[in-house]
Amino acid sequence: MSSKMSRRSASGHAGTTPPSRPKPAPRRRTNNLFAWVLLAPTIVGMGIFTIVPIIGSLVLAFFRWDIISRPEFVGLANFADIALDPTVRVSFLNTIVFVIIAVTLQLGIALVLASMIQERLPDWLRVFFRSTFFFPLVLSAASVSIFMGYLFNEQFGVVNWLIGLVGLAPVPWLTTPAGAAAVVIIVYVWQNFGFSFLLFVGGLGNIPKEVYEAAELDGASGIKKFLNVTMPLLSPTTLVASVMAVITALQVFDQPYVLTRGGPGDSTRSAVMVVFESAFEQLEFGRASAIGLVLMLLIMAVTYVQFQLSRRFVFYQ
Amino acid sequence: MTQHIGGSTATNLTRRGLLTLGGLGLAGVTIGSWPRLTGNDIPGRDAGGLTVAILGNSADAEGRRVLAEDFHREFPEINVHIQAIQGADWKDFFAKILTMVAAGNPPDIVYVATEGAQLFAEKLAEPLDEYIRRDADELREYFDDVHPSLVEAFMYQGSLFQLPIDWNAADMYLNVNTLHAAGLDRPADDWTQDDFTEMLRAMKKSQGAGFTPYYWTNRLFGGIVPWLYNNDTSFLTERKAPGGDWLWDAFYPDDPARSTRGGGFIWDGSNALDESVFESFDYMRELVAEGLGVRPEGGGGTSLVGLFSSGRVGATPAGGYWAQGLHEAGMGSDDFDVQFFPRNRTQRHQFGTAGYAIMRTAQNKDAAWEWVKFTARRESMELAMPAPTTTPTRRSMVNEAFYAETGPKNWPVFYETLDRFPTSGPIPAPPEQAAVENALIKNVTNAVSGSSRQTRSALQSLDSDLNLVLGSS
Repeated sequence: MSSKMSRRSASGHAGTTPPSRPKPAPRRRTNNLFAWVLLAPTIVGMGIFTIVPIIGSLVLAFFRWDIISRPEFVGLANFADIALDPTVRVSFLNTIVFVIIAVTLQLGIALVLASMIQERLPDWLRVFFRSTFFFPLVLSAASVSIFMGYLFNEQFGVVNWLIGLVGLAPVPWLTTPAGAAAVVIIVYVWQNFGFSFLLFVGGLGNIPKEVYEAAELDGASGIKKFLNVTMPLLSPTTLVASVMAVITALQVFDQPYVLTRGGPGDSTRSAVMVVFESAFEQLEFGRASAIGLVLMLLIMAVTYVQFQLSRRFVFYQ
Repeated sequence: MTQHIGGSTATNLTRRGLLTLGGLGLAGVTIGSWPRLTGNDIPGRDAGGLTVAILGNSADAEGRRVLAEDFHREFPEINVHIQAIQGADWKDFFAKILTMVAAGNPPDIVYVATEGAQLFAEKLAEPLDEYIRRDADELREYFDDVHPSLVEAFMYQGSLFQLPIDWNAADMYLNVNTLHAAGLDRPADDWTQDDFTEMLRAMKKSQGAGFTPYYWTNRLFGGIVPWLYNNDTSFLTERKAPGGDWLWDAFYPDDPARSTRGGGFIWDGSNALDESVFESFDYMRELVAEGLGVRPEGGGGTSLVGLFSSGRVGATPAGGYWAQGLHEAGMGSDDFDVQFFPRNRTQRHQFGTAGYAIMRTAQNKDAAWEWVKFTARRESMELAMPAPTTTPTRRSMVNEAFYAETGPKNWPVFYETLDRFPTSGPIPAPPEQAAVENALIKNVTNAVSGSSRQTRSALQSLDSDLNLVLGSS
């Protein structure tokens, strides 16, 4: 389309008649309209279900509201309240620690497995592993967590039964802070690494074989090829995978809510759990909005930092 | 539009044609699913009549449909729509009801358990006092058949907000085969906490690995609270509101505990640092440390029926609702039994009850009151509770016939809990119940999982959380 337009314009200037004011291109207007029509459902959907709630939540953060009574303007009181609340502080700290561990494991496992199946595996086996590793992602996180709760039950779970077979004492998985945190991370990583895995499989597939062949000619070994060829060329994929993994992990809710309800103590309470509890259990919607707003700012800040860092580490071919 | 390619026919659809078809398809789907999109297919919405919200699924709603049909036969001018709302627990259910209120579509009547009684009474429900006074003669037979402790649980600041329909006390279920394997018989009615410990030790000794003498869950009902109650304490301060004489004088003048009845319970402060509270927590900590009890996990104990019925658990606290569950799990009426909770300083029991509350926003409160009265009749309760999935509040219904198929052998324990221990109290559930329950659940596991010092530290944390929630200090 752009080339057509430029040809028309060129012929106008080349003629003997003085250049007249170019007429608006009706075709272009039609196409713009067509594009808007196609975009409309998404724009309307985003407006109703994303933009309006964000604005509503932003406003609500300055009110005290329990659904039933009239909202009461309280200024910054909700923010002051959450700054002083130890549960909120702990939940944010838990979330940050969770993100660091879970995302590292998620990306690490995904990268290792993607590299493994990319090498010397027949196509049908590659398809099998791709499907198998992606499968947990399509399951309901709540269902998976209920099921995993049975597996990790201290008295009757299969995991402790297996541990008992090798003569070890049962582990109080869900009833000690360390055990509960470990289970939440295990379940979360198991369910989510498939997405990063698929991204890495795609990224690895896009690396030209010639680069590896050149590296081999230069005498590069397997690990050197991985560090000096694979990692740099995979860095754009790694950036996308890490940004998405961090954003998702910062919003972790289902697994800790179903598995441990945030306990023991506050050891597995996440930031989103506190938002939920404040809103739907304690009926403090203003406070919940304030916590949600802080979490949104945290996500935006972390994502910004990731993109800034990517300038140093991401290599585009 | 149609062209032949290599002997086969292909249809070339223009972009305009494709868009038209797509648009028509979208319009068709929208029209077809309009009732769903607008929520008009939700039972009761915009249909007039009364909408009754209950905790449960569509099968539960279907179970009450017979009741609604009977009601409609008697009151043809009032339609009743049962709206089942699924939730993991009462807290979840109440959150959904509140969301409906916020959305401007509240039900007219809600089935509310003790956990939400004061929340509804304070913010959402209509007091029944005037209706009860008006229809006192009609209701006398109901109150004669229902224990006053259950009624008192629905009294808030001197007004009554619900007529209790079903209830459960935290009694102790015993696995009879396990008990016999340990060389023991069913304990005496006045057994003590020490007797209980000895029973668990004997059970543990006689069973192999993978057996848990005492299983308990981390929640308000059947968790730590019964152990606090039997130690004459609670994690919240407890007192009675003034008022309520109008009800007690009218319907329970001869109640032996009449002088103790008031205008409803008030739980408005933390009692977590009380030494008796520490004693109860420390006792549970010792049970866990000795391997006699599990560290309690969150959740509703969904796997417990299977564990108990397969002989992997010796004892657990539960209400009459468990009889049907164990029966369905394959236990015979002689395979399990029930006894009162063991005595410590007292033998006070914990109980929970539920009934219909009329919403303040209900358009036709008189019709709603007719439903409340109707469901409290004996024949209605028999329709609603054909099997012992819970304990009916009417004493006359808790009889031999009710437990004939399921057991347990000593079913009279269920109702006698109130008669023998009249100071038994409801689940401590102030209007801030959800936050209070969170604070309790959050600290229990820590309190019973380590040393005595850890127990004290967890109770200090509980005290701090409760003060924050209740605005006390």
